[in-house]
Amino acid sequence: MSQYVFQQLVNGLALGSLYALVAIGFSMIYGIVRLINFAHGDLVMIGAFSALAMVALGVPWPLTLLFVVVVGAVAGMTIETVVFRTMRGAPQATGFIATLAVSIAIQNSALMILTGQPRNFLFPAAMRQRIPIGTVSASLTDIVIIGLTIVLIAVLFLIVYRTRLGTAMRATAENLTAARLMGVAVNRTILAAFAIGSALAAVAGLLWGGKFGQIDPLLGFVPGLKAFVACVIGGVGSIGGAMLGGYILGLAEVLFVGLLPPVFAGYRDTFVFSLLILILLIKPSGLFVRHVEDRA
Amino acid sequence: MLEIRGLNVFRGATHVLKDVSFDVRTGEIAALIGANGAGKSTTLQTLSGLLRPRSGIAVMREGEAVVDLTRAAPEKIVRAGLVHCPEGRQIFQSLTVAENLAMGAYARIDRASITASIDEVHELFPILKERALFAGGTLSGGEQMMLAIARALLAAPKLLLLDEPSLGLAPKFVEMIFEVIVALKARGVTLLLVEQNAAMALEIADRAYVMENGRIALAGTGQELIENDRVRRAYLGVVE
Repeated sequence: MSQYVFQQLVNGLALGSLYALVAIGFSMIYGIVRLINFAHGDLVMIGAFSALAMVALGVPWPLTLLFVVVVGAVAGMTIETVVFRTMRGAPQATGFIATLAVSIAIQNSALMILTGQPRNFLFPAAMRQRIPIGTVSASLTDIVIIGLTIVLIAVLFLIVYRTRLGTAMRATAENLTAARLMGVAVNRTILAAFAIGSALAAVAGLLWGGKFGQIDPLLGFVPGLKAFVACVIGGVGSIGGAMLGGYILGLAEVLFVGLLPPVFAGYRDTFVFSLLILILLIKPSGLFVRHVEDRA
Repeated sequence: MLEIRGLNVFRGATHVLKDVSFDVRTGEIAALIGANGAGKSTTLQTLSGLLRPRSGIAVMREGEAVVDLTRAAPEKIVRAGLVHCPEGRQIFQSLTVAENLAMGAYARIDRASITASIDEVHELFPILKERALFAGGTLSGGEQMMLAIARALLAAPKLLLLDEPSLGLAPKFVEMIFEVIVALKARGVTLLLVEQNAAMALEIADRAYVMENGRIALAGTGQELIENDRVRRAYLGVVE
């Protein structure tokens, strides 16, 4: 394999990892409260800036990562408790508009506090070296992004499929009333879904900053929207689908830009959203979901 | 065990339960019969805390414990021993049979006694052991009903509310379900049974209530209601 193609594949996998991290939380939250959460992308921005603050204070990276997880989880739980819980039971459109309002509020608060000036976000120099793999090489940053994402997704699947909390989350997502009748305190289960999903998005923010080198208060908008596309590709509400959708989107986007003549590079997002429209037309339930049932 | 007085429940603007009063005594089978839309399921949903009454009293007494069902949250009510097996089975289709049973025991803590209860329901419904690792949605209708009842039993009910357990089942399954209900009574579980199949329900009921348009229209022992002319014409299909 030529170095160029290999580099594009690694790049696509890294970008796909970031999309997958954001999309999984987006999908978990939709699965359990049937809420298309457009404020989810802003957790990416919150994660990136809380990482930047820790690095500026000289906190070591592993602790920074832990801090970002906690900030993301707390931010997600706060949004759920303060805004979304008060709207439970309202028509779906109301909830959807509320998420847009939360997103706008977060973005503009960040703009006022942090100003719109982009800031440099640099991983340590050691992270930016290239690691030779046989005859080709990949950047350590991309390798770390891909590796950390795999670890986080593995932990998530263990939680969702092997713990009492995870079983209760899946039960609540499928049938909220029946779960309540089993003694599940559904508000706590929903809170857990927000905490886990938001923490993953915040970690994606840290990695996003490291990969692209600059962050600004509006940086969450694009990942939020792409996570939505990834969810539609994989089937909204399915965690595995969101993960695969994220990787497919990341790879497709990078390969589209990398392998076609440079004149198409500017059409990157056009391509992504055409993909969205195409999938909505052909298989609206997503590529990896066999059928969709409304919750009883 | 269960005392209900003057219960009024609304769904949106609709007045569904009107001044409903009835009792269920410890150790007996009580049946609630009536036409579609009479308010039977609404009654059960109110008792399990899913719906809140506008007014009235609903109290469960279990030994020393007194639970106000009009205020307690569903998860508290389950832990107090009132378990509601809802209409239409409502098992978790995407969870395995074993996971469904684990969800039934969600409110319990003691692992050893949960394992013992799982063995018990496996004995009662051997098919659930065979299918433990299959998704709930792959079971037949009758098997899903068994799973729904088994799941409710894993919550260790002292008072079990069963909503239409025979609905849509083949006759051999209906008979089996009714046998299980009688066996549960023998084991000391108190039951409140909502049924369309009035004949079978009245036959096993110690006490029965007929619900019409959100009110309790008739009350008596199962035998009294079987012999009641109005019940015979309206619910037992007897033409005279």
